[in-house]
Amino acid sequence: MRTAFLALLRRDIYLSVRQEGGSGVALGFLLVVVSLLPFGVGPDLGLLRQLAPGLLWTALLLATLLTLDRLFISDYEDGLLELFMTASLPLELAVVAKAFSHWLTTTLPLAFAAPLFGIVLNLESIAVLPLIATMLIGGLTLSFVGTIGAALTLTLRRGGLLTAILILPFYIPVLIFGILSIDAALVGPLSFGVPFMILVSMALCAMSLTPFAAAAALRSALE
Amino acid sequence: MKRKWRRLFLIGLFVSFFSTAVGSTLYVLSRLDVLTFFYSPTDLVRKNILSGFRLRLGGLVEEGSVDRSSGKMVSFRVTDLKQSILVRYTGILPALFREGQGVVVEGILGNEGVFIADRVMAKHDEVYMPPEVAESLKEKDI
Amino acid sequence: MVFLRLTNPNLFLRFVDLFFPWLAAAAGLCLCGGLYFSFMSPPDYQQGELVRIIYVHVPMAWLSMGCYFLIAVSALGTLVWRHPLADVSIRAAAPVGAVFTALTLVTGSIWALPTWGVPWVWDARLTSVLILFFLYLGLIALSHAIEDLRRSGRAVAILALVGLINLPIIKFSVNWWSTLHQPASLIRSGGPSLHPDMLRPLLMMALGFSLVFVLLYLMRMRNEILYRRVTSLRQMQARLQASPGTLPDVFGEVL
Repeated sequence: MRTAFLALLRRDIYLSVRQEGGSGVALGFLLVVVSLLPFGVGPDLGLLRQLAPGLLWTALLLATLLTLDRLFISDYEDGLLELFMTASLPLELAVVAKAFSHWLTTTLPLAFAAPLFGIVLNLESIAVLPLIATMLIGGLTLSFVGTIGAALTLTLRRGGLLTAILILPFYIPVLIFGILSIDAALVGPLSFGVPFMILVSMALCAMSLTPFAAAAALRSALE
Repeated sequence: MKRKWRRLFLIGLFVSFFSTAVGSTLYVLSRLDVLTFFYSPTDLVRKNILSGFRLRLGGLVEEGSVDRSSGKMVSFRVTDLKQSILVRYTGILPALFREGQGVVVEGILGNEGVFIADRVMAKHDEVYMPPEVAESLKEKDI
Repeated sequence: MVFLRLTNPNLFLRFVDLFFPWLAAAAGLCLCGGLYFSFMSPPDYQQGELVRIIYVHVPMAWLSMGCYFLIAVSALGTLVWRHPLADVSIRAAAPVGAVFTALTLVTGSIWALPTWGVPWVWDARLTSVLILFFLYLGLIALSHAIEDLRRSGRAVAILALVGLINLPIIKFSVNWWSTLHQPASLIRSGGPSLHPDMLRPLLMMALGFSLVFVLLYLMRMRNEILYRRVTSLRQMQARLQASPGTLPDVFGEVL
């Protein structure tokens, strides 16, 4: 079971790194957003400094939404997903592998690229570490909750926008606490740890519980 | 029949785990005072706040502290009955703004501990009654 | 056990036809009485006449949450008992719930602008109700997107159950965190903090709007059942024309 899990994980990472529509899309999206914003709001560095963490976080969230629909779709199209249902690996664990590989190929590169992009947005240097930490942890929740949305819209031809609508309510709290943590590190009066722990507990809840909902959705879609 | 009960059990298990996990998170959240819409004057005095960042301050308008003498600018003290902070504001006040009433102000904590507000919101409580009843309650108190 | 028999669509339809006029009359009566008492009730000692928005805002808010609870119970019915009527119930309730949530937000803004001084703030209560609205939109969108009825029913039910976490957040947001929104006036420890003269119209309006909700809900359920029957009859006709002599069993599949 462990080998099957790791093999699936490795395969998905390879696929998303080497195929189009993987990490490249997420990074490209961040690049577009970051380079457009200063023209949108004007080159006021003080304003950009205040906007930077929220903007980078929102970009992560949108990039996650953008890449969600490729979670299951190719496996569904070539019939592999039906094989998963009969495989020795429980479907729930397959979902975990999928979500984890999505995190590794979307959130991980974005989290480390965000401070670099932050330079042009005048991101404060004390915000860099909190930004990376919150993105990594919050991204876990985003990827795992995202599996539910991707599984629910599996059989639809253009499910991308629908996934976004379904998942949006569950993404808002993650964004709130991500920004709250960075604000706490920057301004106070809370200490960074308090909202950050909540982000961690949200990630733990999502990791332990969403695979069941996503697997149930996959089963009903494939039935 | 048996399969249905099994499904009910599984879904029940899932929902109960889900609610326990979320519930305990929320419980901790409620203790920690994280999701506050505003900070109290004590929070601002006790903890170090970087000046220049926007934040919200909430509390009661201190009795007898409202000063409208300098033109359009109003100044008043916001108190939580332990600490109070001087607030300066230029603009239109909401109808419910009065002394002793709850208020939330948004703005920047300037130097010398003066809060420069650019927005004042009135906060009211969940008690609703006719004016006569409020009058008689007041008389009883005195 | 009488109610269990209503899960038979035929009996359900007959029940709806029988009780519909009575329910409509009761709803009309309650709303008229509620409106009368709303305008006769005294003004508030602080907010004056503005307080009357409470008689619309609070019932809407209750119903928008109650409707989601109804959807969650129906979702359980879909997932556990696979009962088609449970799916019909979700489909019927979701748009009504979305409208009531939207009205909650709108009446809340109308009330907030003069009292608080701003129509909208991002505090925990307002944000969580907005999230409830998005959840309703998601349910509606999903139920329309998947054509296969059985599959879409189950997908919608899963989403509805996952979204259930939002209900306690809405309810307790005003007690747990400092919000601009005031705490609950009615369901609180120490009894209602509303003067009895204001409580009466509020409860009457709440009952009236609840009846309106039930009416809309039953109407939509009836329409959905009839619509499904028409669809399956059409399918049957098409199949009979294609291969005469065989009577396919599509009728039992849908309802």
